[in-house]
Amino acid sequence: MSEKLTFQSEIRRFQNLQTRRHFFTNSALGLGSAALATMTAQNALAMPNVTSETGNTFPHVTPKAKRAIYLFMSGAPSQMDMYDYKPKMLDLFNTELPDSIRKGQRLTTMTSGQKRFPIAPSRFKFKKYDNGGDGMWVSELLPETTKILHELAFMRSVKTEAINHDPAITYICTGDQLPGRASLGAWLSYGLGSENGDLPAFVVLNSTWSARRDAQALFNRLWGNGFLPSKHQGVMLRTGADPVLFLSNPSGVSKKMRRKMLDSLNELNQKTYEKLGDPETQARISQYEMAFRMQSAVPELTNLSDESDETLALYGPDVKKPGTFAHHCLLARRMAERGVRLTQIFHRGWDQHGNLVGDLKSQCRDIDRPTFGLITDLRRRGLLDDTLVVWGGEFGRTVYCQGRLTKENYGRDHHPRCFTMWMAGAGIKGGVVHGETDDFCYNIVKDPVHVRDVNATILHLLGIDHEKFIFKHQGLDMRLTGVEKAHVVKQVLA
Amino acid sequence: MIRQSQLCGLFVVSVICVSPIAAQQKIDFNRDIRPILSDTCFKCHGPDEKTREAGLRLDTKEGAFDDSSIISPGNLDESELYQRIISDDSSELMPPPDSGRKLTKKQIALLKAWIEQGAKWSKHWSFEPVTAPAVPRTAGSKKWASNDIDHFVFRQQLLRKLKPSPRADKITLIRRLYLDLTGLPPTPEDVQRFLNDKSANAYEKLVERLLASPHYGEHMARFWLDAARYGDTHGLHLDNYREMWLYRDWVVKAFNTNLSYKDFVIQQLAGDLLASPTTDQLIATGFNRAHVTTAEGGSIKEEVYVRNVTDRVSTTGTVFMGLTIGCASCHDHKFDPISQKEFYQLFAFFNNLEADPMDGNRKNHPPFLNVPNEQQKKQIADFDIKIAESKKAFASALAGYQYVEPKTASKPEPLSKPREFIWIEDDAPAGARKSGPWRLVGKNKHPVLSGNRSHFEQSTAFTQHFFTDSPTPLVVEPTDTLFTYVYIDKKNPPKQIMLQFNDGSWEHRAYWGENRIDWGTDKSPSRLFKGDLPDAGKWVRLEVKASEVGFTKLTQITGWAFSQWGGKVYWDKSGAVTKQNQKVSFESLAAWTKSIQKSKGSGLPGPIAKIAKKPADKWSKADQKMVREHFLLHIYADSKKQLLPLQQKTAAFEKQLAKVKSQIPLTLIYKERKQPKPAYFLNRGQYDSKGPKVERETPSSLPPFPKDQPRNRMGFAKWLTNGKHPLTARVAVNRIWQQFFGVGIVKTSEDFGAQGQWPSHPELLDYLADRFVKENWDVKKLIRTIVTSSTYRQSSRVTRDRLAIDPGNVWLSRGPRFRLDAETLRDTALAAGNLLNKKMGGPSVKPPQPAGLWFAVGYSGSNTVRFRKDSGSDKVHRRSLYTFWKRTSPPPQMSIADAPSRESCIVRRERTNTPLLALMLMNDPQYVEAARFLAQFAIDQKLKTPDEQIEFMVRRTLLRKATNFEKRILGNAYLSHLAEFKANVAEAKKLIALGEKPADKKYDAVELATLTMIANTLLNLDEFITKN
Repeated sequence: MSEKLTFQSEIRRFQNLQTRRHFFTNSALGLGSAALATMTAQNALAMPNVTSETGNTFPHVTPKAKRAIYLFMSGAPSQMDMYDYKPKMLDLFNTELPDSIRKGQRLTTMTSGQKRFPIAPSRFKFKKYDNGGDGMWVSELLPETTKILHELAFMRSVKTEAINHDPAITYICTGDQLPGRASLGAWLSYGLGSENGDLPAFVVLNSTWSARRDAQALFNRLWGNGFLPSKHQGVMLRTGADPVLFLSNPSGVSKKMRRKMLDSLNELNQKTYEKLGDPETQARISQYEMAFRMQSAVPELTNLSDESDETLALYGPDVKKPGTFAHHCLLARRMAERGVRLTQIFHRGWDQHGNLVGDLKSQCRDIDRPTFGLITDLRRRGLLDDTLVVWGGEFGRTVYCQGRLTKENYGRDHHPRCFTMWMAGAGIKGGVVHGETDDFCYNIVKDPVHVRDVNATILHLLGIDHEKFIFKHQGLDMRLTGVEKAHVVKQVLA
Repeated sequence: MIRQSQLCGLFVVSVICVSPIAAQQKIDFNRDIRPILSDTCFKCHGPDEKTREAGLRLDTKEGAFDDSSIISPGNLDESELYQRIISDDSSELMPPPDSGRKLTKKQIALLKAWIEQGAKWSKHWSFEPVTAPAVPRTAGSKKWASNDIDHFVFRQQLLRKLKPSPRADKITLIRRLYLDLTGLPPTPEDVQRFLNDKSANAYEKLVERLLASPHYGEHMARFWLDAARYGDTHGLHLDNYREMWLYRDWVVKAFNTNLSYKDFVIQQLAGDLLASPTTDQLIATGFNRAHVTTAEGGSIKEEVYVRNVTDRVSTTGTVFMGLTIGCASCHDHKFDPISQKEFYQLFAFFNNLEADPMDGNRKNHPPFLNVPNEQQKKQIADFDIKIAESKKAFASALAGYQYVEPKTASKPEPLSKPREFIWIEDDAPAGARKSGPWRLVGKNKHPVLSGNRSHFEQSTAFTQHFFTDSPTPLVVEPTDTLFTYVYIDKKNPPKQIMLQFNDGSWEHRAYWGENRIDWGTDKSPSRLFKGDLPDAGKWVRLEVKASEVGFTKLTQITGWAFSQWGGKVYWDKSGAVTKQNQKVSFESLAAWTKSIQKSKGSGLPGPIAKIAKKPADKWSKADQKMVREHFLLHIYADSKKQLLPLQQKTAAFEKQLAKVKSQIPLTLIYKERKQPKPAYFLNRGQYDSKGPKVERETPSSLPPFPKDQPRNRMGFAKWLTNGKHPLTARVAVNRIWQQFFGVGIVKTSEDFGAQGQWPSHPELLDYLADRFVKENWDVKKLIRTIVTSSTYRQSSRVTRDRLAIDPGNVWLSRGPRFRLDAETLRDTALAAGNLLNKKMGGPSVKPPQPAGLWFAVGYSGSNTVRFRKDSGSDKVHRRSLYTFWKRTSPPPQMSIADAPSRESCIVRRERTNTPLLALMLMNDPQYVEAARFLAQFAIDQKLKTPDEQIEFMVRRTLLRKATNFEKRILGNAYLSHLAEFKANVAEAKKLIALGEKPADKKYDAVELATLTMIANTLLNLDEFITKN
């Protein structure tokens, strides 16, 4: 008996070592503590500073946010029809974009062959709204959003280098234009772990949309783990009976039966462990137990029956339609309550090369009320104090028209030189409008923000110094922000 | 971690690192010092000239000892390097505090010890030639060793006071061997045979049998396909289907026929450059075509071209040399001796593909190779003969036809009943004079009602297309009905559509919709309103009475106009319902000749039209012959009757041939452009920032390019495989070792550079690499050596001592034990219940996966946006190797169990334990079906008791007798499940209905469901999903 006990404690000691080993293997520069947090599923905020082998500590900076919700508008929303007001364009309808503005910059091959680049002013009306600061011009497409402007910090000068969807969305979501890197959420899962042992740290929702059906594609890599261990990949929460892949027991198998099966499985696995002593076996037992807990936790998460009518009304009527952006915003709030580290909602359909007027209206209608509802709901529950909310797409759109230009309608091509994003919530100074573009909404004239700066800022708010957040892969120090210098956008911080 | 453990042992790592230990230790520069310099110093004092500080370079001996004050061997006080790393002055301290890098006490101690011991320098180990180390045989190792591997392993164990574990039992061994060599488990019968074989070489015989199994090649191919980033879709943007499975079959075959690794490399990198390459050798070149490609609208060709080539270079670096060459595409490599210029010199070997860099979203992005199978080859040959024969028959019939010019033309008689006569189909009537944009379009992208084509126009204002002077008029009476078919685009309808008829004058019009086209007199036969626009989005028949539009007597209509205001409108077959017998052909060559001259050949095929434009007296003999033949074949009724069937016969054969050809599998291959495409140094790796032109050259830190080889991919492949390259064999051997032990001798199998890990057994690695080359790069031989070693055959049981000293089994004092890879997991579960279909080769298959995964991410225009499960066991129960791999949404059964996305080259998979994996193994309908089949198998044995059934299933899965403990636990579970299903038979029926092959009615639902749950338990056991 005592022999066995000693052996058991020896094993525990070994497991500790394994943990430490894992910790150090990837820890040349301060990552170890992050990995450790994941392994022990501890809350990074509550965690004492850990000093790694090379003397770095974690968290690197005081975290403002415990978690984040990322509203990703896939396809690239037209900044000048929504948030970047350009009144001078009205007089320049159908005139040529001056060369002094275009400066020979490269265009996509969809419009590089066009004979003319006629200016298409936004045909939507703008109004200046109070935002608790200097005020903010917003178009008529977003009436509900104007009510929460005091919570939002706008960056109207975000830029990227990629001019096509696949490389651009891969860039902003994973830090590189080519496939193979880890996504933002995977990094967060790796670094901060989950606050909730029964739910994944990184959850992805793909919403339905209202513009024309052929929307730009998404790719699993946008929430993939890349070179990080695959347990950090985003888990897509699907609409329907099985929100997480293979979550439900096979038909005919009750919860009670699964419990019984797991009990026998665990007993047999425990015996294997005693026989062979492989700590992996114990890890497996605990993962099966977590799987069982997820079988309850996920349906509890997606069951909205305990939400009041008043709350549902906040998000607008679509909230009752599974899979809509409104429905997903409410789920995002519920996940924030349950400690999911990053919830990323992908709303597709923003690629308005033609029929911008009709399609943009539909797209904005999809998101306007639910966004208002999400921010308001998070605020009144106190969750906005430690939850960061991010809104944006992969690039912007051109002021010049693609295809036919009329007073009633027009299209816009991809424009990487400037676009608008916003952040709200934990650590963010509401009512800020940062960055400025020229009268043509073509070039940035003040305070450029690169997409890697956006990522650096998100990490910063979650307590992570992007420079120090490193994973060794193929002998390289991999960072979400890549090799070029990235800057935290201090101006939007509270 | 291996580095530290060699110094301190694992226990002390986390406690403190003690410099005295380091001081006593004999320092090995490559093992102990280079990693520190690489990690902390090379970034600013390394190969990259642009970021080099103070002109100091620490990655080469010349740089480090250039000035004796930097490192003074044996003298710490005079070594500035040492003084700077221990400095108290933050402006002096190295690395600078703001670099985010810091040396640990242990590292400082090591550097100190190194300088004290004389600061010996050597080139990075992997760039040094492979040595042929002596086998360290000792009295102790001889007792244990089965072959040379074991002596090397034993020595390292001895240094750490470890001893080998006992040999694993025979059952564990046979399972381990089956899984490692074929990826499939043995059956209990295989196990029994092995147990019964008491001969001394029973194990060796088993090894030989498995190496000869065709499943060996399938299993080996799986690892290679990760490296080759093989997928069934392009991988970017639309992510359409790409056909390359022949390459997969080639890889399987290459392993099964034991193609030497040298030829394996040469054929994949340069098979097309071999003298008269075989089909197989061309298929092999698909390796360099397997990278992801795009055809995203708006992409810039040059940028895509650079990305494609960069992937080829990076993959070549990783797979064949274990080097992160791709890092040097934007700047000189920070750690390894590869300059940016050298990257583009390598680029120049791989940029010369004869192809559009954009894939066109096509499955056959050229260049590609059609590879007909034997049956197809025969069919093609047969059709070729048939076609030649029928063409010959036709030619002789045409030549032999006796045409006599008639004296008078006969007049057609009216029919007794009206019938529908189609005058316009696929085009204006032959010979008519056409005007306006006749946009004739086919069925692929446009609506077509009948025939092969429709015609359409799209506009924002008035537009029309029409013809006049048809040589064959439409003859109508006032009571006849003129008709046409129209299709109005739903998204872009016109304001108005109009038909106009010409009998010499155009004053015969009918319109639908608004009254915008201002011709004729409103509300008269010259502008008749016929109603609202017809429904959009479908074909609608429009009818007009001849009398309504002013045809008041027997009339010959010779012209017809299709007019519209705005929108997009399609038209198709048009004509009249009439009793008039229409003249559809000429009965006189002379009359027809006249008519085609008059219409200047309008509507005729090019060559005839050209002749028709010349005056008849200028026609050559050949012209006359051509006109005559066209007349006989297409115009003259009597000859048509005879000749057409012959021609149609040929056409039918040709159609069948085309069908056979369209089913021929194809695969993307590499093809060199005739004129080498110039390659340039690209500043910061940017496609539009060209520097100087560069020539093909290999990096200077590696052996020189052989003088007798051509400067192309072939020379490059020969350079890799001439036996002098320090990396090729080491990297290959290490990757194969990793397959068996879970971890390579160099753990970072993708990186043998300065940032990679130091090999745990450097001499063993060299020994194996050297032998591999000397034994003609024989892969099976290498594997035989590995699996017949005592090292491989150890028990994987962990004891206290071993745990303490070697938790990661770096020193191989026990057998390998790790979770099965994704493919093997699934194959093993299917095999347990005899459900696995072992058919080899062929196109990828789609076993079931949860609905909506592709749709959730796919571009709606992609041909892989909707997943459709295959049906039939020969599709859904095949080995996972054959599962269709959509790269932007890989099969979840694979990715949940750590398979890579195949978007880029991967030579080492992670192994993680997640709840998602547990959920899949418990709940995926295919795993449940596998469990049910195992249960059915047990019932089929007609055993007496549930206990016996359980024992049977344990034997099928774990290949051994069930223990009493297992029998008790599973027996209890059986009773519990049984009671639940008995109380609810409907639930039992639901469970056994899952899967591709429903349960036979002969089974009792409750019994089968209960045993299915027991089988489900067994298939989830740690022991079952692990290689023990």
